[in-house]
Amino acid sequence: MNPIAAVGRMFLSVSDTVGGITLTLARILRAASRLRFDRDETWLNLYKVGVKSYPIVIMTAIFTGAIMVIQSGQYVKQTGATGLLGWGAGYAVLAEVGPVLIGLMFSGRVGANNTAELGTMKVTEQIDALRALAIDPMQHLVVPRFLAMVVMLLLLTALGDLFALVGGALTSQFILDVDWRVFFNGVFNSQLLDEYLVGLTKGVTFGASISVVSCFYGLGVSGGAAGVGRAVNNCVVTSAIGIFVWDYIITYLAN
Amino acid sequence: MRDDPMAHALPWLKPALGRLPEKPVVLRVSGLTKWFGDVCVLDRVDFEMREGEVVGLIGPGGAGKTVFVKICCGLMDPDGGQIEILGENLLELKEKQRQRLRERIGLVFQNYALFDFMTVGDNVAFPMKQRGGATLAEIEAKVQERLTEVDLPKVRHLMPNELSGGMKKRVGLARANINDPELIFFDDPTAGLDPVTSSKIFNLIRKTQAHRNSTCLVISHDIDRMRPACDRYILLYEARVHFAGTEAEAMAATDPIVREFFRKEAGLK
Ligand SMILES: Nc1ncnc2c1ncn2[C@@H]1O[C@H](COP(=O)(O)OP(=O)(O)O)[C@@H](O)[C@H]1O
Ligand SMILES: [Mg+2]
Repeated sequence: MNPIAAVGRMFLSVSDTVGGITLTLARILRAASRLRFDRDETWLNLYKVGVKSYPIVIMTAIFTGAIMVIQSGQYVKQTGATGLLGWGAGYAVLAEVGPVLIGLMFSGRVGANNTAELGTMKVTEQIDALRALAIDPMQHLVVPRFLAMVVMLLLLTALGDLFALVGGALTSQFILDVDWRVFFNGVFNSQLLDEYLVGLTKGVTFGASISVVSCFYGLGVSGGAAGVGRAVNNCVVTSAIGIFVWDYIITYLAN
Repeated sequence: MRDDPMAHALPWLKPALGRLPEKPVVLRVSGLTKWFGDVCVLDRVDFEMREGEVVGLIGPGGAGKTVFVKICCGLMDPDGGQIEILGENLLELKEKQRQRLRERIGLVFQNYALFDFMTVGDNVAFPMKQRGGATLAEIEAKVQERLTEVDLPKVRHLMPNELSGGMKKRVGLARANINDPELIFFDDPTAGLDPVTSSKIFNLIRKTQAHRNSTCLVISHDIDRMRPACDRYILLYEARVHFAGTEAEAMAATDPIVREFFRKEAGLK
């Protein structure tokens, strides 16, 4: 194939995707801002999303905190600066690693599931059936999922951060022999509230981008079961890219 | 069967009565054209249906019948033509207005399209719940009534994937009927059903139509069994309306395709 044509085609397909996602976001925000969405579905989705993801998020968080402490452990041991342990691990977890890893887990768990669900509804004409029954899929399916994912990823990030600190404290106590109170002192004395808030902001943007991307791919499915598979694949990849791009932007703005 | 006693007395008059000109037009399609890639699926289709009519839409598989119905419901956009439905110009309506229009239209999907995350009862109740204005008890009662009409009084607690194809079809029928629509499209309502149930379904279509004076478009291959239900037929063939008229007219037609189609179908008896 002509390489210039290939580049052109790739560029077109990327603009297609970005345009489609932006359009989906605009439609979601318009419906949500006019309070046009199904309340029962929203509650149901909050429950489903939350319950589905909290165990895996807590697991991820505990290990993340533990790993951060082990990583910085050597230097802390060598220098004896145990006060820095809480600061180092807390900073990394709250501002950066926590939200990103939790976001990635969330996109694999909830985002992929959402794409598969909407995609299956699309190929089995259930979306058309909703429309035929005078129900707007946007209000009934998409906006409730968007709200549920944004709210839940925010809450899960807030919760996950705390568990990451617990994981860090346990590791410092039992593996590094640094008292857990010293660890928490290090965390609380180093004014990490800003980092925590930046991390939560990331949680919200990640939640929004994962939900928009997963709905976009889910509703865009065509071509049966294979199409659903492709869409889930695309959703996971694009969500991950979205997470890193937003992570970069927010980190840049916050510093 | 019909609300008109004359039709009973003089069955041979029925087709003519079905086309009495003074009834208002419910659906008028003109020049409808639809392309998929470079395949023309509907080519300048003209069609008209008046209030209270039951029209059979027949044609070989892949003739564009399902596409035609979906376009009429505003689920798909055509590439050309005009659609006037229930007094509105469909193609000029925004999605919001189309939605309001669809509250008056029923559609039975060829592939059921039941919501697989709800029980059968919830599926049938869903449009009524969403529309609001009815108590739970009223909804329950109506769901039971509609399911009994289609001979499925005991399945409301099952999930759709626990039903056979024919049962799903009938649940789809009950769901499309729950809000008493004025205009109903039946996309192959008896595919996969046994002959006895098929006949029952066509009788039910005719009965509910007469009861509510609704207008129905029925897609089917089963000309023999749909005969008691339909006032007249249109035949889609190679993307065009190849024939439109009563059965008697079809039998008298000289066009080989029309003759063959009706004969062949009739010959399947
Ligand atoms: N979404 C679609 N994309 C591409 N082609 C389609 C689509 N839907 C239907 N077609 C084509 O349109 C033609 C008519 O289909 P359809 O209306 O389903 O036929 P039928 O008369 O059997 O209901 C078929 O050739 C089919 O391949
Ligand atoms: Mg069809």
